[in-house]
Amino acid sequence: MSHHQAVAPKPADDPAFTMPALLSGLSLPLCIGGLIALVGGAFLGTTSLGGRFGMSVYLTAFMYAFTIALGSLFFVLIQHLSRAGWSVVVRRVAELMMVMVLPLAILFLPIAYSVWFGSLYSWTDAGYQAEHGVPIAVWSEKLRWLNPQWFTFRACLYLVIWGSTAWWYYSKSQRQDETGEITLTESMQARSGPAVILFSFCTAFAAFDWVMSLAPMWFSTMFGVYIFTGSVLSAHCAIALLCYVLQRQGAIRDEVTVEHYHDLGKLIFGFICFWGYIAFSQYMLIWYANIPEETHWFAARYPGFSSTFGPISIALMVLHWGLPFLGIMSRHVRRRPWAVAIWSAYILIMHFVDLYWAIMPEASLGAGGAVGVLSSLLCVIGMVALMLGLIITVGSGTRLIPVRDPRLGESLAFENI
Amino acid sequence: MSETKPAPKTVADGNTVHGVVAEFSDVDSLLAACERVRDAGYTKADAFTPFPVHGIDKALGIKPTVLPWIALTAGAIGTCTALTMQIWMNGIDYQYIISGKPYISLPAFIPVSFELTILFASFGTFFGMWALNGLPRFSNPMFTSPRFDRATDDTFFLFLDAKDKRFDEAGAKVLLGDLGGEFVEPVVEDDSPKKIPSFLLIGLALVIAFSMIPALLVARMRVTKSSSPRFHVFPDMDFSPAKDAQQISTLFADGRAMRPDVPGTVNRGELDWDVDFQTGIDMEKLAQIDAPRARQLVAMMQSDTEIGEGDGEVAGEESPAEEAVEEVTEEPQTEEPAAEEPMADEPATEEPAADEPAAEEPAADEPEAEMQEEPESVKEESASEEPTAEETATEEPASEEPAAEAPAEEMAAEEAPAEETPAETAPEEAATPAEAEPPTEKPAAPASLAPASGPTVDTTPWLTENPLTVDAEVLARGQQQFNIYCSVCHGMNGRGNGLVNQRAQQILATTWTPPSSLHDQTLYQDAYPDGKLFSTISNGVRKMPGYAAQIRAKDRWAIVSYVRALQASQNATLDDVPASQRKALQAKQAEVQAELEKAAAKAAADAQQSAT
Repeated sequence: MSHHQAVAPKPADDPAFTMPALLSGLSLPLCIGGLIALVGGAFLGTTSLGGRFGMSVYLTAFMYAFTIALGSLFFVLIQHLSRAGWSVVVRRVAELMMVMVLPLAILFLPIAYSVWFGSLYSWTDAGYQAEHGVPIAVWSEKLRWLNPQWFTFRACLYLVIWGSTAWWYYSKSQRQDETGEITLTESMQARSGPAVILFSFCTAFAAFDWVMSLAPMWFSTMFGVYIFTGSVLSAHCAIALLCYVLQRQGAIRDEVTVEHYHDLGKLIFGFICFWGYIAFSQYMLIWYANIPEETHWFAARYPGFSSTFGPISIALMVLHWGLPFLGIMSRHVRRRPWAVAIWSAYILIMHFVDLYWAIMPEASLGAGGAVGVLSSLLCVIGMVALMLGLIITVGSGTRLIPVRDPRLGESLAFENI
Repeated sequence: MSETKPAPKTVADGNTVHGVVAEFSDVDSLLAACERVRDAGYTKADAFTPFPVHGIDKALGIKPTVLPWIALTAGAIGTCTALTMQIWMNGIDYQYIISGKPYISLPAFIPVSFELTILFASFGTFFGMWALNGLPRFSNPMFTSPRFDRATDDTFFLFLDAKDKRFDEAGAKVLLGDLGGEFVEPVVEDDSPKKIPSFLLIGLALVIAFSMIPALLVARMRVTKSSSPRFHVFPDMDFSPAKDAQQISTLFADGRAMRPDVPGTVNRGELDWDVDFQTGIDMEKLAQIDAPRARQLVAMMQSDTEIGEGDGEVAGEESPAEEAVEEVTEEPQTEEPAAEEPMADEPATEEPAADEPAAEEPAADEPEAEMQEEPESVKEESASEEPTAEETATEEPASEEPAAEAPAEEMAAEEAPAEETPAETAPEEAATPAEAEPPTEKPAAPASLAPASGPTVDTTPWLTENPLTVDAEVLARGQQQFNIYCSVCHGMNGRGNGLVNQRAQQILATTWTPPSSLHDQTLYQDAYPDGKLFSTISNGVRKMPGYAAQIRAKDRWAIVSYVRALQASQNATLDDVPASQRKALQAKQAEVQAELEKAAAKAAADAQQSAT
């Protein structure tokens, strides 16, 4: 609840709230280098392994960045929805990642392009129906949902909803930094409920559209939740990791304490379990029912069926769930910021593996050999660098915590036990 | 926190003092006091607050609890319990295939393991907390403090336990008073009676006593016998609407509890298309020399199956004639109503069924008409004519050489050739074609299956070899079946003098036809092929009934092999005996020979004696 020692926040223009100089200097190189690597990776994949592979690589990198941005948006919304006090000092970091939805909307353009003129999604192939022996009646019904016009419209809708939500919350929070109006917090809280509902629908349908439709005849109602769990898990990890990096560079040292890492660690632990729960539930229902329409998706990822993705499936089970589950279970680990940061970095890597496993098998080329792996890594590293560069650029123009948030004092004094 | 009885340090008014409690009006003063008490060296102190206070553990110097370890251990035990239970139950003790999955299939076990992990961890946490807090207990000395009730309302208390090594009542009072505590008071022993109220004890005893009743009843039932009807816990399981075969049911419109086979389907395990095996006739050869008869035999086997399973109506629905039409027209409509069918075929002349093509007509009608006039002479002609007619109609290569399977349906249209041989036997078989083919006037029995009698020369291409691989097992089976079914008339040794025959001779039964001796030369392999013997067992001959309904085809063939062995036993030479047993046999033979000679000599001596 409260502590007998009230913590007074530092003045709003304290240097601890500005982006450390070392990071600020990195922003431009990160942006440029990241963009080059991103384009280079996609280009390498496209030229050497075909358009579908190249675009799949790009989609993996895009979804990686996008899920983290979406998870951050969800984090911010849920803090307002629950009127949380503890999280105020880490909320600005989440907000910085959240507004990455806007540049990512531009980075979605290649995917939209490939729906019209490219070959990323097999349902755009004219011969898909005949090749896979899909009954014409079924296929025509399918195409009522999966056609370029409707797909593009939906994508625009999702991006507008996310982008406007993110921008609205970001700008309100920025304004509160200057004015300290409590009414801003109240209006953000008031709108968080509907915003979370809209967010949930958009996330689920975007997962169906952008990732699940890579296998157009496959369906899993859990797939939206599956993408969502990975998204929220990775966002919490990214917040913890970014806070740790900022603190190492001298910013927000006194504000983000062991208690906040402890709480982030608890949420990370919870979402590791949630991810495992959803991933296994999706698998078990399909495995048990054993219906060909559903199992083919897992068959392409099964040990013994796919030499590339079969081992990855096992690895995900052990490394995305088992190992971090045991690793971050202990309170002693969660109360050590460096340990939380290391586990966060580890889970962020596993999140990429997770998305790679979900997306790349549909390109039907396995990992694509050394060139394929290289292009995948180039793409995702480029995307991460680009996003980091943009986050630093945006963060340099603002403060690293919401300095006039009415609950800042509560957050600063927060204790778990 | 701790539960052991405190060592009394001070006694006031005859009551044991358990400690000293002080009252604080807000959290901050309480936390400050806690820190001072901790710094003063007290380890056994406790704070009571209306709501959880962050940081109070640290302020009081309370060590982290071991409860998480209890929870983890309990959870791990839960996981192991669930996995062991499921693997033992489904994988080892009672192997049961569920949904085509392996006995031990981990994904299916995960949900239960997950649930038990949660359950055990919850129980471990809950009861672990009890154990760590010394619960349950009926009373706490704190409750004797009159102001303590406000701990659940708006007041904060700090309690110094008398068990602490540093405790001394006066010093503790001074310390708490210095820290700003109000109403510093000693906590004394609860002076309410320690005895548990008798109504509680009686109630508990009663509950225990009543809970024993079901167990005692069950135990008594286990060791006693009763003539009263059983007690139905789940009546729906004991009084199910299930019916036995042939019973009446109100559930179905036709009133039959036993459901007929679905038209066009074959029961599991009843698909047996090896016609040679079923008839003992080389059907391909028969088709070449006598195609109509071959077709008839095959069709009859089919209708046989139908009759055996359902009833006449069902058989009528799928009568071969109708199928023949459909086969030719290649229109897969099998569900023609049964009533229509006789009308279409009854005239058997120039009234084709509605969908019967013209090309089929001569093939269907001609042989029948001719047969009725002069069966013997037309036999060859129709046989040679038939395949060509079909060839034009169906254009199927299979019809060119009517293999055993192919013409199965078509042949039913020409039932006539069956009539060439007068039916003498197999009355039950006769019913089959009669129902399927109403226009037939003569009994359309498969008389050709029992061709031992009759004026015609038997040209049937019987199988000369037993289709079974004859080994000791088959012979043993054949012997067993022979002894059960055949020996009553034919005798254990096959000489035709079984018990039934003996009795018939005894009572001089006038209608009795003595069974054949199986050692008659005419029944040997060269004169009476295996297939023919099989056919006789199946369909009977003279007074002998057919055994097709009682003995399975495979066992009939086993009987054939055993009969051959019986026959061989009467004509065996020493060379047929295994070398190892020859010596014993020769010794026995010599013995018998000696006996015989002795007897002969004796007889001769007697004769001489009597002569002289």
